Amino acid sequence: MEHTRAIPILGEKMYREGEKKREGNASVRDLRAPPTAFLFGSNRHSAFSGWKQQRRNLPAAPLPVCARCIFRLFGVLGRAYSFPSITDAVLKSFLEEPDNFHSNAGEIGCGANGATFVQFSNSSKETRNVQQYCSICLGILQFAHQDQELMKMSTNRVPVDDFTLAIAELVKKEDYHIDGFSIEVSMPPVIVANERAVRLYMKKKYESEEWFSAKFLHEHLSVKDALRTSTTALLEKHLGDVSDSNSFRIRLTYSHPEASRRLQSSLANNLSGKGAKTVMKNNVNKANDSYEGILRNSEQQTCNESDAAILRALEGMQDHVFYECFTVPPDKTFKPCHLTTTCYRMPIYIGGRYLKFSRNVSQTCWMVDDERIGEASVEEIVGKNILSVCRGDNYKFHAAGREDIDVRMLGSGRPFLIEIANSRRIPSKVDIGLISEKINNNDQNHVRVRNLSLIGNEAWTLMREGEAEKQKQYAALVWISRSLTDGDMQNISSLKDLDIIQRTPIRVLHRRSPLERKRIIHWMSIEKISSSSQYFLLHLCTQAGTYIKEFVHGDLGRTHPSVGSILGCRAEILQLDVTDVKMDIFN
Amino acid sequence: MEGSKDEGGTLATTGVEDEELRSLLFPDANNLPEVPPSAVEYNFVRYYAIDFLKPGHDQYVYRHANGLCVVGLAPTHVALKEEGGVTSVDFNVGKSDRSEMKVTGKRKRNAQHFETNTALCKVSANGKEFIVRCCVKGSLLEVNDRLLKQPDLLNSLADREGYVAIMMPKPTDWLKIKDSLSSHEDYKKLRGLV
Repeated sequence: MEHTRAIPILGEKMYREGEKKREGNASVRDLRAPPTAFLFGSNRHSAFSGWKQQRRNLPAAPLPVCARCIFRLFGVLGRAYSFPSITDAVLKSFLEEPDNFHSNAGEIGCGANGATFVQFSNSSKETRNVQQYCSICLGILQFAHQDQELMKMSTNRVPVDDFTLAIAELVKKEDYHIDGFSIEVSMPPVIVANERAVRLYMKKKYESEEWFSAKFLHEHLSVKDALRTSTTALLEKHLGDVSDSNSFRIRLTYSHPEASRRLQSSLANNLSGKGAKTVMKNNVNKANDSYEGILRNSEQQTCNESDAAILRALEGMQDHVFYECFTVPPDKTFKPCHLTTTCYRMPIYIGGRYLKFSRNVSQTCWMVDDERIGEASVEEIVGKNILSVCRGDNYKFHAAGREDIDVRMLGSGRPFLIEIANSRRIPSKVDIGLISEKINNNDQNHVRVRNLSLIGNEAWTLMREGEAEKQKQYAALVWISRSLTDGDMQNISSLKDLDIIQRTPIRVLHRRSPLERKRIIHWMSIEKISSSSQYFLLHLCTQAGTYIKEFVHGDLGRTHPSVGSILGCRAEILQLDVTDVKMDIFN
Repeated sequence: MEGSKDEGGTLATTGVEDEELRSLLFPDANNLPEVPPSAVEYNFVRYYAIDFLKPGHDQYVYRHANGLCVVGLAPTHVALKEEGGVTSVDFNVGKSDRSEMKVTGKRKRNAQHFETNTALCKVSANGKEFIVRCCVKGSLLEVNDRLLKQPDLLNSLADREGYVAIMMPKPTDWLKIKDSLSSHEDYKKLRGLV
């Protein structure tokens, strides 16, 4: 673990200069530095004397803060954080004041105008003493957390290395094939409160100092951004990939139940009614991120309502109220956060068109009272094959419309998407070709797929877009109660864009709203069946959402006009096939 | 895709050019029954209430697999035997005009709940009035308002387009009433039909 330490606060510019010259002793011409802060090079003496003078201004209770939080407080940005180990040596080289860092001392006060101090803790005594963690980040930027394996915590190892290695191991354990990653961090709101408490403390003490406005009101890194900056390079090295906005997410969820509870009660005492209630809601699922929860929250910075309420309350709180609620500066922390690391990939999509040759296979898995209806389903046949190749957690089937179990889907096929959750690998073109073959060469041959390919999120909108306007084409085997005449055939063929009204068919009336739906039959044509005068094939092209069976038999008069009413006799439908789904996708 | 006058199966007439597809579409002519089962026979189980509350008042209850029941006059109903047949239908019976109600939504919460004896409508034939009743206890989803303008539907197509109403009984209520109804076979025997 990286130690908290006492450190004189230096001007921001100094740190930045220090970054560039880690080993050098070059002097720094820093006109903006506080006049009595520590300087490099020739000004050392004056600073030193000032320091000695201020020794009497030791604050009563020193404050443990880790190196990276110190950097953050003073607006240090950039590469300073990714330095693997900000040991005393590193700081020394920044500050060039070896005398002020007694490695074995207990506390050091270094007061100087424009300087405050934080506690310097002892590295060699850590096994005996109770560890203290940074009062602001609760150990997060020290790469310490309660769930670390003990054996890794030897003193010669570099904490951030262990930290990133553990993450990399998790990724490798699941055998994810990745081409990049992005890191998401979730932290308890108490950290925001801690930071504000420290800042208020420093403001109170040093507001009047010249350097204060120059340093303190700068933009500064949040704990999250500092964590990312500190770990990105190492993660890239361990994972062999580049970090950017990527579909593979590594989520670090920190929690500190003790500190959070204290925060909650402090807040609740000062809020009223609903505010207090929302704040006190228990974050039960914090360490227990379900997959769906992760997806939902992946864009958010907080896990749940309670956190959001706390952050809102803090944001809206004025300084004097803050002082009433919280200890300024914050209390010491003896335990670091809990960390849950999860990794997952955002959903991937594989789409194409399917054909269904069986009248006993449903489109989607259909169960009634724990029993399956039909032999199989398109959803399962296609979904399972794709899922196993992608090694995903589960699949979802989305199709552009549907057909009954006893209706075949022929012709060019119906567009569909399979959404795979948390796939361990992304299938290549070759993989996809193999999946197609496997499905198509199956002996049962109920289902076939065409134009199978990996697609991005845009396919989703393409599928849904204009679904209602799309036309569908069918072939129905129809029987009428008298012989077919030539007049009938002409009659039917002559009807173009015929308007019909369909009341909700009786067969779906139990689960759909009773409505009257206007639909259009674009064209129809009769094809005779040579051996019969009363059976024929009716080809028709209709608006999406038309109930074809009811259009043929009339549904007790509730669809009007119907084939029967047009021909003036009774009409029945024996079988139906979809022959074309006209859509501009997967063609 | 214009229809044309020729009878053959060309792209112009059918919109289907693929030979393989066309061969799939055509049925095996030997397997086609002379008269196929009707949509009602295929999709519903037909029950009958014989002499319901009054002699000769025979009604049918067609029950769909989804539980909905279509109610109407059986072919042997006395009203259909009257001279001139049915001349008018009035849904204004009991406390409300049944043709006025509008059921909305998937759950059909605003549907009226009726008992088996509740009157659905009265049917006039040859100067006499005959009451048609629910025969099943449940929610009334729909009445066939086409009967208002076309009462003649009852004379020729009482078993189909002349249906009277659609009811939705609860599963338990259906089980209670089911045994008091006759099957299609029993009905035919009882009434001496072919």
